[in-house]
Amino acid sequence: MAAAGGGWAAVCEKFRTARTLSAVESRNDPETEPYRSKYSARALLQEVKQLLSAAEEGGEARLLAVRRAVLEYELGVNHTDTEELSAGEEHLQRCTQLLEPHRLSPDCVSLYIQAQNNLGILWSERDEIKTAQTYLESAEALYNQYMKEDGNPPIDPSEHFMAEEEKLTDQERSKRFEKAYTHTLYYLAQVYQHLEMIEKAAQYCHTTLKRQLEYCGYYPVEWALNAATLSQYYLSKQCFMESRHCLAAASVIFSQAGQVPSAEDNETEQDQQDLQQRKAEIARCWIKYCLNLLQSARKLLEDNVGELDPDRQLELKTQRKKEEDEKEKGRKKAVLFGTSDICDSVLAMEEKVSSVYPLDFQEAREIFLVGQNYVQEAKEFFQVDGYVTDHIEIVQDHSALFKVLAFFEEDYERRCKMHKRRVDMLEPIYADLNPQYYLLISRQLQFELADTYYEMMDLKVAIGNRLEELDSHTIKKINSLAQLAIKYYELFLDSLRNPDKVFPEQLEEDVLRPAMVAKFHIARLYGKLITSDSKKQLENMQTSLEYYTFLVDYCEKYPDAVRAVETELELSKEMVGLLPTRMERLRAKLCPFI
Amino acid sequence: ALPLLNSPSIEGDAIKVYVRVRPPSEGTALTDGDQGLCLSVLSSNTIRLHSKPEPKIFTFDYVANMETTQESVFSSVAKNIVESCMNGYNGTIFAYGQTGSGKTFTMMGPSDSDNFTHSLRGVIPRSFEYLFFLIEREKEKAGSAKSFLCKCSFIEIYNEQIFDLLDSASAGLFLREHIKKGVFVDGAVEQVLSSAAEAYQVLTMGWRNRRVASTSMNRESSRSHAVFTITVESMEKNNEIVNIRSSLLNLVDLAGSERQKDTHTEGLRLKEAGNINRSLSCLGQVITALVDVGNGKQRHICYRDSKLTFLLRDSLGGNAKTCIIANVHPGSRCFGETLSTLNFAQRAKLIKNKAVVNEDTQGNVS
Repeated sequence: MAAAGGGWAAVCEKFRTARTLSAVESRNDPETEPYRSKYSARALLQEVKQLLSAAEEGGEARLLAVRRAVLEYELGVNHTDTEELSAGEEHLQRCTQLLEPHRLSPDCVSLYIQAQNNLGILWSERDEIKTAQTYLESAEALYNQYMKEDGNPPIDPSEHFMAEEEKLTDQERSKRFEKAYTHTLYYLAQVYQHLEMIEKAAQYCHTTLKRQLEYCGYYPVEWALNAATLSQYYLSKQCFMESRHCLAAASVIFSQAGQVPSAEDNETEQDQQDLQQRKAEIARCWIKYCLNLLQSARKLLEDNVGELDPDRQLELKTQRKKEEDEKEKGRKKAVLFGTSDICDSVLAMEEKVSSVYPLDFQEAREIFLVGQNYVQEAKEFFQVDGYVTDHIEIVQDHSALFKVLAFFEEDYERRCKMHKRRVDMLEPIYADLNPQYYLLISRQLQFELADTYYEMMDLKVAIGNRLEELDSHTIKKINSLAQLAIKYYELFLDSLRNPDKVFPEQLEEDVLRPAMVAKFHIARLYGKLITSDSKKQLENMQTSLEYYTFLVDYCEKYPDAVRAVETELELSKEMVGLLPTRMERLRAKLCPFI
Repeated sequence: ALPLLNSPSIEGDAIKVYVRVRPPSEGTALTDGDQGLCLSVLSSNTIRLHSKPEPKIFTFDYVANMETTQESVFSSVAKNIVESCMNGYNGTIFAYGQTGSGKTFTMMGPSDSDNFTHSLRGVIPRSFEYLFFLIEREKEKAGSAKSFLCKCSFIEIYNEQIFDLLDSASAGLFLREHIKKGVFVDGAVEQVLSSAAEAYQVLTMGWRNRRVASTSMNRESSRSHAVFTITVESMEKNNEIVNIRSSLLNLVDLAGSERQKDTHTEGLRLKEAGNINRSLSCLGQVITALVDVGNGKQRHICYRDSKLTFLLRDSLGGNAKTCIIANVHPGSRCFGETLSTLNFAQRAKLIKNKAVVNEDTQGNVS
């Protein structure tokens, strides 16, 4: 060292400049020469390398090897950054070879892990994900081994080219080391995702998020969005407790975003708007949470015709009482985010909505109300003007919330009113929407409106059946609801026609079932229309028969379709058999003298 | 696996995929001989890639070999789309491929000619000519009863930001949606066109504003997606009834595929966390992918599609016709990129419009 004297200071200076060029300057490179600074950094690193070999004699072998490894590492990263993978690989390989014997010592472990991280990235760029996996898993193992056997904050790679007085504090060392390991986990999350080891990938994402919180390495907004997105993963696995925890953490961390002054401190209007959008996005995740919880509960509670099954309800309530005592124990510790302060806020946030299945109207209503509040919050940002798709999706969720709440409602009149609310929110949007640009949403709305009217009609019929005799008001109501349902089913079917207005000979797989269900429901609706005019009644039966026949004929022609509509087909066949006889009888009544 | 999530539907046709093999640059073919080529065109819709140990055979809607003329590419790829555009369909043509595979030649023509009458002019100028030819013909047929209005815009997407190529002074623009008009770029210049020559002028002017980069690996590589959009509006007066029809024609030149950082095209590549940047800004994308694979349950994903996907979503999701021209270079040095381009094109063929209709099956069948 002493022999190098002033030379060493110059070497360190060069190294430092190279790092600054590569990490800081390169961000300002002109678009036409995106790698200008990287190339200059590379040249400097090469110079340093030469200076080192010149000083080789007399130096301490191990120290030199580590320094050279640092340079190989920097050169490796530099080459991969500039799209020269093979050269990058060579450098990184040389780096790990040099370090191999010392990889568990405090001055090498961090560099070795980072080199392996980069080899992992490099191999993934070549679509060799399995190779990437081996590097990353070995980095993970090395971290664990080091922490077990030593655990002292290791030297940061940059320190090998620093003067003694500049060396980092233990705290800073530990922070950088942990960050490198967090990156390992983050890359592994991706590797597992690519290998379709979904559960493992989710677990690594979760751990990455957790570590970001622990080591304060996060932007609140981004972290919150990630956690909210992760909640949606748990949602799809029906893990409501985990889902709620992620969402609560997202909300808590997001609320910090407003308090922390942003890096530039010159918040523009755009930034403000972005922040509003993120908030609305998290609200939308909450909506989905409430919706899924209600819908899953409905699945548990319904009987074979889709009504609430009171026996099942009682059974589940007893079961829940038993489980309640064990509830706290069941809580998985691993999923908890944050340290004491944050944790308390997260728990307080969780209190606001349940994570167990609602079993009666009162419980369902509480979840519904939370969901509805988030609907309002999300709509504040996602207004129709400018955010058509998002806005409509939120309205659709709102409608779905009402739909599932209605399931828990025992009073038919009130239930009908809930469906009316759905119609009121969906119909005006549908009327404005241009199907040339929003074909998919437009179809969804047609179908949902049709279904809602259909459901209302069924409810009115059920209410009517309780009466001694159907009054003219109820009859009128039933008929008009049926007509509206028919109207929207027909609009949906029309949307499948080609520009020459011809209905497709064979239906596309993705619209097959909805189209068939639409036909089937229309058939049923014509059967339900009430009229005292026998001729009219005969006409309705005729139309109904035509729609039933469509189903039967279609499935005969395309047997593949049968699977999609088994129940409907069975009933249609039955009706096709029955209706002609009934019509015959009716005709006979009409013209008794023939 | 591709920046397009939804594709045309009405006739249920998947995206049409055309592969075009460019001839190697002069000189290299002679020295390399046939052994220097990594692929051979077997028929008008199959191509064989000389991979080892087993060669791979790919089938597409159309494979254009090295001798295929510009006119023939236009006729088989774009003609039909321009015609549909006159009939009220939206249409989109993409060019995809590695830098140097001939995207610009296919779409624009030889780079040194500003002359759109050049015999080697590409798909875009030919589409202009054909479009205006059809418009003139319609006008003649219908007389004063029918009128047309054509407008165009030209934007580029670079680093997930949108820039107006017709107004180089403009700052980043934003995508918005209108309930009647679909997705639009807020504030983008719309220029009225009255002839093919005029359209071509606008195109070349904008083209010069594109972001191009050179590295020691690639002499020149386009770093941005460029989207040229023509809106065709027709108004027909029939007695007292006025019939207005409007459609979009999108001509898209994607960034060189080897530089594609678009989330959907990245394939297996890991997303790298910046060394300085303390945030792992891509974690969200990983989680998003996890949620995507979920089992169709209701969920919301916080991260929106890429700008390109979003911009083209409407024209792809409704009554639209779409085709992709996958350009490949036959040299054996390009094997890796060619393979990934062909794989991409293969995936593109599978894309269909997922017109999922929310439909409740329970309890309605009584």
